[in-house]
Amino acid sequence: MEKSIENIWKEGFLKSDALVAPKVNNLYNQKSIHIIDKFKRMFKINLIAIVAFSFVFLVVSFFVGLPITGIIFFVTLSVLVIINKRLLIDLDKIDMGVSSYQYLKAFNQWIIKQVDINKKISRFLYPIIFISMLLGFWFKDAEGVPLGERLVSEIIFGFPDTYLIFGVPVIGIVIALVIIGLLALFGARIYKWDLNIVYGRVFKKLKELMTDIENLRS
Amino acid sequence: MSSDFYKTSILPFAGIIIKLCRAYTNSQEDFEDYYQEVCLQIWRSKDNFREESQWSTWVYRISLNVCLTLLKKKKNNVQHFVSDSITAEETEDNFAFSDESLNLLYDAIRKLSEIDRAVIMLYLEEKSQKEIAEIIGTNPNNIGVHVKRIKIRLKKILDGKIN
Repeated sequence: MEKSIENIWKEGFLKSDALVAPKVNNLYNQKSIHIIDKFKRMFKINLIAIVAFSFVFLVVSFFVGLPITGIIFFVTLSVLVIINKRLLIDLDKIDMGVSSYQYLKAFNQWIIKQVDINKKISRFLYPIIFISMLLGFWFKDAEGVPLGERLVSEIIFGFPDTYLIFGVPVIGIVIALVIIGLLALFGARIYKWDLNIVYGRVFKKLKELMTDIENLRS
Repeated sequence: MSSDFYKTSILPFAGIIIKLCRAYTNSQEDFEDYYQEVCLQIWRSKDNFREESQWSTWVYRISLNVCLTLLKKKKNNVQHFVSDSITAEETEDNFAFSDESLNLLYDAIRKLSEIDRAVIMLYLEEKSQKEIAEIIGTNPNNIGVHVKRIKIRLKKILDGKIN
């Protein structure tokens, strides 16, 4: 007589080899391969790298005469680090001992939140970096005169009809605004593309798992 | 890890972990990685256990949640869930049980969706509909019907009627 799956299961596990636990060595010191731990590691590494870079850049900026760029960079990146540090704390709060639905939902909500926040940040981050560089070079000392003023006087000398607003050529303002606009527009997209390349498949899978459980709930 | 904790609180429930991890992996290497990771996460989360459920039910939850969301890197550096890419053809020979019927049943289970795998495993472990619903986080009223559907699908897979 054909065996039922219940009987196959029961009888199969009566055999001695079926439930032999693998050898566990130095388990606590093993590197976790779990998605949450991977996110935590990625976040920590990124934050440490940003802090280190912003410090180095701040110091270097004073040496090369671009302190405004260095200071704006430092403040902006510090805000980025503080915000992401808070997101990291939220990640620690996800409890793996709850039901699969609650667990996946909590993790999915964290992903949505962090993507949303970092997309918004990216929208401002790239334009701010560009503005900080513009300002840094504009006010860089060029033989006693700010570099920007010197550049404008040379432009006026060559093109006397150049129209100025607050001492800046209109064409320069327009070009800067276009670049800022493009950076704001593409900043968020660059972040999303970057994230999707590495984690797009995972995010899609999480949604599928949630949908499967939701179908069971309804 | 305190070896006492492993011996007293995890090892007695190793069967649960082994059975689940086997359903979400297709090689001995992945299986051992999963088993180790589940043990690690149980140890890390132990302070969150609030005795609202039995320890074994809680171990099921952790094991299942870990199995559903373990990541591996593919060659192109893209992250993916291992459980998402299982085919019976890819299952390694040294990963088999000595009981051929059990191997065939596991191959069939691996062809189900991740959530269906969880439901049928809990059913085969004689968990009640209420317990299954609590572990997965769903409605207990739907579990009975769903188990019947999964069993029909498993039967078809075992009979070779569907892949």
